[in-house]
Amino acid sequence: MSTIAPEKYKENASKNIADPVLQKALSGLQERLGPATENLYNSLPEGHKMRTEAHQFRRKAIDNLDVLLSTLVDKVRGHGGIVHFAKTAEEAVEICKKIALDNDVKTVVKGKSMVTEEVGLNLALEKEGIEVYETDLGEYILQLSGEAPTHIVAPAIHKTRREVAELFTEKLGTPYTEDPPILTRYARKALREKFLKADMGISGCNLACAETGHIVTVSNEGNIRMSTTLPKIHVAFMGMERIVANLEEQQSILRLMSMGAAAQEIGGYVSYVGGPAEVDHGDGPQEFHLIIIDNGRSKILADPEFREMLCCIRCGACLNVCPVYGKIGGQAYGSPYCGPVGAVVTPLLFGINNSADLCAGETLCGACKQACPLEINLPRMLLALRSKLSEGDPDWDVQPKSKGENLIFASWQRFNSNRKVYDLLLGLMRVLQHLLPAKQGMISRLPWPLSGWTANRNMKKLAPKTFMQQWREKKEKKGS
Amino acid sequence: MEREKGEKRLMTTQKEFIQDISTALGRPTPVSVDVFTVAPTTAEQDILKAVRQRSSGERQPFIKTLQEVSVPLHLDFHPERSLEDIRQAIITLILEKDPEWGTKKSVVRWDHPLLNSLNLEAAAELKDIPLYITNHVAATSSADDLQAQRQQTRKEVEASFIGITSADYCIAATATLAMKTRPGQARSVSLVPSIHVAVVEESRLLATLKELYTLLKWDEAEQAEGLTNNLSLISGPSKTGDIELVMVHGAHGPRELHLFVVSDHR
Amino acid sequence: MNKPEKVTLFIQCLVDTVFPETGAAMVTVLESLGLKLDCPANQTCCGQPAFNAGHTREARAAAVKFLDIFEDAEIIVCPSGSCVNMVRDHYLDLFADDPKMLVRAQAVSRKIYEFTEFLVDVLGVESVGARFPHKVTYHASCHLNRFLGIDRQPRTLLAHIDDMTLVEMKGADTCCGFGGTFAVKYSEISGAVLAEKVKNIVDSGAEVVTGCDMGCLMNIQGMLSRKNIPIEVKHIAQLLAEK
Repeated sequence: MSTIAPEKYKENASKNIADPVLQKALSGLQERLGPATENLYNSLPEGHKMRTEAHQFRRKAIDNLDVLLSTLVDKVRGHGGIVHFAKTAEEAVEICKKIALDNDVKTVVKGKSMVTEEVGLNLALEKEGIEVYETDLGEYILQLSGEAPTHIVAPAIHKTRREVAELFTEKLGTPYTEDPPILTRYARKALREKFLKADMGISGCNLACAETGHIVTVSNEGNIRMSTTLPKIHVAFMGMERIVANLEEQQSILRLMSMGAAAQEIGGYVSYVGGPAEVDHGDGPQEFHLIIIDNGRSKILADPEFREMLCCIRCGACLNVCPVYGKIGGQAYGSPYCGPVGAVVTPLLFGINNSADLCAGETLCGACKQACPLEINLPRMLLALRSKLSEGDPDWDVQPKSKGENLIFASWQRFNSNRKVYDLLLGLMRVLQHLLPAKQGMISRLPWPLSGWTANRNMKKLAPKTFMQQWREKKEKKGS
Repeated sequence: MEREKGEKRLMTTQKEFIQDISTALGRPTPVSVDVFTVAPTTAEQDILKAVRQRSSGERQPFIKTLQEVSVPLHLDFHPERSLEDIRQAIITLILEKDPEWGTKKSVVRWDHPLLNSLNLEAAAELKDIPLYITNHVAATSSADDLQAQRQQTRKEVEASFIGITSADYCIAATATLAMKTRPGQARSVSLVPSIHVAVVEESRLLATLKELYTLLKWDEAEQAEGLTNNLSLISGPSKTGDIELVMVHGAHGPRELHLFVVSDHR
Repeated sequence: MNKPEKVTLFIQCLVDTVFPETGAAMVTVLESLGLKLDCPANQTCCGQPAFNAGHTREARAAAVKFLDIFEDAEIIVCPSGSCVNMVRDHYLDLFADDPKMLVRAQAVSRKIYEFTEFLVDVLGVESVGARFPHKVTYHASCHLNRFLGIDRQPRTLLAHIDDMTLVEMKGADTCCGFGGTFAVKYSEISGAVLAEKVKNIVDSGAEVVTGCDMGCLMNIQGMLSRKNIPIEVKHIAQLLAEK
């Protein structure tokens, strides 16, 4: 369950930093996945160039998205599938709702799909009296507890086994146990009933292949295969950018995605779905619907500064190395897209101004770019977003964020452009710093706008003489 | 703009949707671009050649690789190589394993030449255990009959605790089974029963995923068939780490995956 | 590259105003190698804080000033990875739409070097004959390590300091949480990231933590001091100047 509330970033971060259980879960996750993914990259049989090439494949696909989507659509229709186009979230939801109502659907099982979160599908179906079940174990736990995900791939990682035990006892009526295998079996049993009775299965699409006309789903639990094999209708939601031209490119990105997502050579279950089951095949869905969704993506496409973001395949590798994410967790971002990827995608999809904290709240350390299987330059795009926020941008409907900050930097620039003024100001500050509380040359409380610094650290005092002054004096001494 | 059957005009049409993308790309008039590959690269030709010319002896190292990668994947790779030994091993599995749901045992399998040759149906030990084959659906049936036949298959798959399939290919490096969809070979056999048993011919072994994709893309027979409407790649049993990152096997798919490779020399 | 006639120093503003001893140490090392040094008196900040906070206009003004001052230099050396990253890479972004300025930025981009990079890659120096009988841990700062790809160079120089024990901390290349104005605007998040870095430094058992960026080191020093942890912070130039 995701609500879009990125403006609560600081507040949520603060809460999460103070949560020792979450802190332990996040560091456990990062320590396990971050290095494991890096090891896989380092042992790629194709070498490091594979990632650079994969980035180019994605870039080529995005630069030719109109052609690739048209090809995919033709092929899927040729396979007997039905294709829909949704310009907006509302439209995507309406299309799915209509398919469900037309077919008298009572129960829906869902494989993990971020884009359905983005468009707010579950609530809309539930309003029609349709039962909707998330079937990824982590998502299922969150659906039962009514919480937002902490991680793209491991959404319920913040829940302890004890919390899951209590939740299952309360909601499923199962005997209390803190044993993860037994808890998993309880969920397996509860969801098996849903899989067997569901009349519609909903999936996302990790990365479609245009030339063959297939969408591709990946999971380890087998829940997506269950959702797309057993119910009579399969509806796939696909962000319009999730496509690549050729099968050989698709496999290269798929493998890299598996490495980024879960440090695997390949996900446990990979399915290429081209259409409904053929009439003489024993099983499989009898209807296949593909909903291709724009919802703000063509705007990103049109901006050369941000087009690269459409290369992202949402594997979550950047989360597993980000120092900031590692402290604040996914819920702090207030968006279905969290972590470094969320810090760029959320503002672009849901508004830059109300996501201002997401744009500014990173260290720009570059770990995300290094961990990205496709080497997407997230720091560059964060900088571009910050620039829009400080200067405003009518194209993106951005108002300058803070007049106060703009004023500070404008005056900073004036001092910085003239060494004499700069030195005068330094002299003044050197005098004033004696008014501040300090011990052994370390200031313990700075005034606004620097007070944040001394909230948890001290600050060394300005030196009595700048290096430049010392240098000048040294030269003069030599000269005399 | 002509609309496809079933795609009632709700709001956005394909034309409008694609047009917006073309405009965003700065080319409002459609262009013809060369993005699709039409011939294998030299490296891909080499892979095709290597796979086609590979001898049985050259495939032996794959067995060892499979044994090794099976361990971390939690996959049961069985040493039996002859059809007779494999048959016996599967009979033992059926007799010794317990059903997960309920107490009654039944087994379901694909209609597949290799599995047919195992002739499990003739095993005296299994005479009390129903052995279903997913070959009910016939293209010539009426719509009502098709529905009934599909329901029959579904019922049998749901009831079975073991599902036996073969695979188009088995990739040594990742222990991946590749399965296209075909008549008689229901997808749910490898998915719904608690235990999945896969029996593949040694000649179907490939070294890497790269080899698999090169074949799928460029081999004439594969090209002619296409990926079909459902190609599944399965690497090990179903698993999850969603509770405190503790790895648990048997999330929603099979809890166990048993793999047998039939020797070429039989 | 041959040994340059004259090296022009670009002194990071933090070094200039708060840590002049770092600049002095760099001068000591470079002069001991027989280099002639020059240090333009009117230099100020390269504009990185403004750039990272999205104030492109102000960053551009700082960049213009920098180019005016430094473009005649033969080679520029700076004791900060992040400032070199700014001048070498981000000046090109700032002037991407201004062909005239871009040419000037490119010229300067090609001749600016981070201090350890200059020693090892340009001069081919691995040992400067330093001696520092202490246990030291190295923080691989992000802009230096990831964006400039400089890691081997400082580690080579450290490995050649006599009597020094280099102890590797856990996550040496993990961010310290500084991030410029981020540390002030999001001090709670920054502090949480920094606390982990400080813990890893303490756990390493080092007496001194070193690195190539005074920004990160100032951040680390701030928390060490706040927590009364007696671990010293020294720029790598200070270690290399020790005899």
